[in-house]
Formats: sequence, C-alpha cells, structure tokens
Amino acid sequence: MTEKKKILIIEDEKDLRFFITQALKSEGFETIEAFDGEEGLEKAKAEKPNLILLDLLLPGINGYEVLSRLKKDPDLELIPVIILSNLGQEEEIERGLKLGAIDYLIKANFTLDEIVERVKKVFSKN
Amino acid sequence: MFDKIFDSLKDGLIVFDQKNKVSLVNDAAKKILGIDNKILGKSIEDFFYFPELKNLFFLLGTDIKEVFRKEMDLEKNLILEITSIPVFEKEQRIASVVVLHDVTREKTIERLKSEFVSVSAHQLRTPLASLKWSLETLAKERIGNLNEEQKKVLQKALTSSERMLDLVNDLLNVVRIEEGKYVYRIVPTHLENLVHSAIDFFQERIQEKQIQFEFRLPSKKLPKVRADPEKLSLVIQNLIDNAIRYNFQGGSITITLSEKDKEIEFSIKDSGIGIPESEKENIFQKFFRASNAIKTETEGSGLGLFVAKNIVEAHGGKIWFESKEGRGTTFYFTIPIK
Repeated sequence: MTEKKKILIIEDEKDLRFFITQALKSEGFETIEAFDGEEGLEKAKAEKPNLILLDLLLPGINGYEVLSRLKKDPDLELIPVIILSNLGQEEEIERGLKLGAIDYLIKANFTLDEIVERVKKVFSKN
Repeated sequence: MFDKIFDSLKDGLIVFDQKNKVSLVNDAAKKILGIDNKILGKSIEDFFYFPELKNLFFLLGTDIKEVFRKEMDLEKNLILEITSIPVFEKEQRIASVVVLHDVTREKTIERLKSEFVSVSAHQLRTPLASLKWSLETLAKERIGNLNEEQKKVLQKALTSSERMLDLVNDLLNVVRIEEGKYVYRIVPTHLENLVHSAIDFFQERIQEKQIQFEFRLPSKKLPKVRADPEKLSLVIQNLIDNAIRYNFQGGSITITLSEKDKEIEFSIKDSGIGIPESEKENIFQKFFRASNAIKTETEGSGLGLFVAKNIVEAHGGKIWFESKEGRGTTFYFTIPIK
C-alpha cells in the first residue's frame, strides 16, 4: 500500500479551506492547512508536503512571493505547486506559471471534484 | 471680435493657414498645450521640436490631414480628442482648423467604471466559490445522505450558482474587451479542432433536444489561422450555445467550415426561432436580447454575441448573420489566413 500523500493548503478564507480539505480527505489525502504565506512557508519546511495548493491574494506576503521563495529553496523547489486563486487574467496566470507553478485554477470556475482530479493528475504523472 | 469669440470657447482651437503655418491659437489651446503666442507663424513641421506639440505633429502629419475625434494622450494625465478640418474655398484649401477637446474626465470615468466592474466581479468570485463548494459538498453526500427531493433542490441551487458565475465571467470579459486587452495569445490554430471540442462540450444538450447535428468540412485540409484559440473557442461555443438554446425540439444545426480567398469562413445554420426583423440591428449590442429570445429562454446575459463580435474583429475578421423569424438563423464569421 502506498502511503498517504500530504497536501498543504495555503488559503486565507476559512470556509474555502474547509471545503478543499474535506474534499481531499474524502479521497484519501492527508491535509495540512496554512492561513497565510509565512505560515505556509514554515509548514512547507517542517512537513515537506507532496503538493501545495496556493492562493495568491493572502495577508502579508502574497502567493507569488511564496511561490518564488519555494522555488529558491533547494529543499522545497521540487514540491509541485498548483495555484488556486480567484484572479484569472492572462498576465496573472502567465506570471504564476513562469514562477514555476504546474497548474493554475480559478477557484470559482472549478468544482471540488475537478480540483481533486487535478491534484490526482499530478501524482499519476510522477 | 472674432478673437474674443474664439477665446471664449472651452475647446482648444488652432488654425493653420494655406502654408500650414499657425495663424491663430485661442486661449483654451494655449492652456491645454502650455504654449503662448510664440507659436504663431510656426509651421506644422516645427511642432516636432516642441515636446508638448510632438504628439500633435505625429497625429496630423506634415500635410495636416483630416481627422475626426482621434484620441491623443498628452503627458500629465491629459487625454484629448483631436479633430482636424480642412477649409476650402473654390476647391483650394485655404486653412486647416484643429480642435482640441479635453476628454480626460470622460476617460477617467470610463476607466473607473471598468475598474469597478472588474473589482466587483473578482470580489464576487470568492463567496461564489464558497457557495458552489458548499452545495457540492452537500450534493455529493460527503456529510450525510439526502433524499431524492433534497437532491433535486440542491441541483437547482448548483445550476443557479453556475449561472451566476457565468455572468461574472462574462462581465470580466466585457471589461477586458473594453480595455482592448482581450485577445492575448496568438498562435497558429486549426479552426476545425476548436469546432470539434466545442461540439463535444455540447453533446449532451444536443442529444437532450434531439437536434440533428452536422459538421461539414471541405475535402481538402484547411490551413491554420493565426488566432487566440481560447478566445476563438468562446466565439464558437457562444454560437453553438445560441443555436441549441433558441432551437426547437428535434430541430437541426449545421456547421460549415470553408476556405474563401485568404479567409476561413465558419457558418452555423439553425432551424430555431430566428431574429425579429426590427431587432436585427441591435443583436450584437452589449446586454441586448431579442424579444422572442427572452420569451423562449429567461436565462441569458445578452453578452454572448457582443463578446463574439469583439473577438472576431480583434482577429481582423467579420461576423454577420441571416435570419428569418420562426425559420432559423445562420451566423457567419471569417478569420484571415496569414
């Protein structure tokens, strides 16, 4: 049996965090939650998750900054990051992907099931 | 006396004589451009050497061409609309009148309006995501079982939340269009691939409505066009969506792609309700919906064709239609092959 994959959710909206966590847990993932970018980076270092779901508009340092710090850290740079944001203009998507995110999802345009599917897809590739 | 009249005008006025030299400049023009009477007698070519007049030189050219309400940005947040009118006497051009109309305020309001719509639409997405995911969590019975009635009610709520999201996304698209930033990633694109995926997307609804669907392609492979595939897909989707939505049960839809001198032409013919004669001219207007369309389907934002037209035109193409009320409509668009 393969061990449970650990997913870090960096999202400041409590309700949204709750729903994503619920959906991932029901599909057998282990979840860790972070409220802002600082906490997210700390937990990423401490827990070494298998994947990070990252919001962009966060209190304090924003998601782009979190992403570029993750990619600069040799211990963390290989963790796949999916951006999950309500921003969705082309410049924003392009910027996220250039910084090294492997996927960019506009929250409101996706169902929880679709988000879980995207997460699974990342692991099926590896 | 004429000087007094000119100086009382709120619009800036510059008059060039036959030799394209400044013969008159009113107070408003001096104020707007930050110039004084020293400009009198200078030629349009001299404008090139004044930083505050350079843009005007580029707009009018050395021959002071006729211009109607062309927008021009001056520095320090000043936006002008320039109109240039040649004055003739016995077929001889004897002067050119250049009018400078300050539209900074209007443009600022326009920008603020766009920003407002954009910010509100983005803000709406967060509670909408929460709403949608709450309903989904319930409907998927992740936190308890539901009876059939409850499932049905939840399904309706989910459909409504999707509709609201579509509207929010449409509004964001409109803002992008109005900012002229919409068509973004231009790549060589096979139009037929876009059509195939759009048809796949609507398969279920086509079957539900028992529509006879046909997709006609020429025997010879069509060349690629330079297009933003995501945006062009939206055009095709909007047109198919309308053709299904405003069709009768058991009606027909035919999509045809063909090559016509340096263009690819897309057409979609339906056997639906058609567009009333008196409303044809409004059909591409933002938020407009034909009266018979509103009766058939209460849903609909009135933005689909507006968005489609803007996307097609941003690609250098054309969009039009033929329609008979009660008989059906054919929409056409072309995209140049480059």
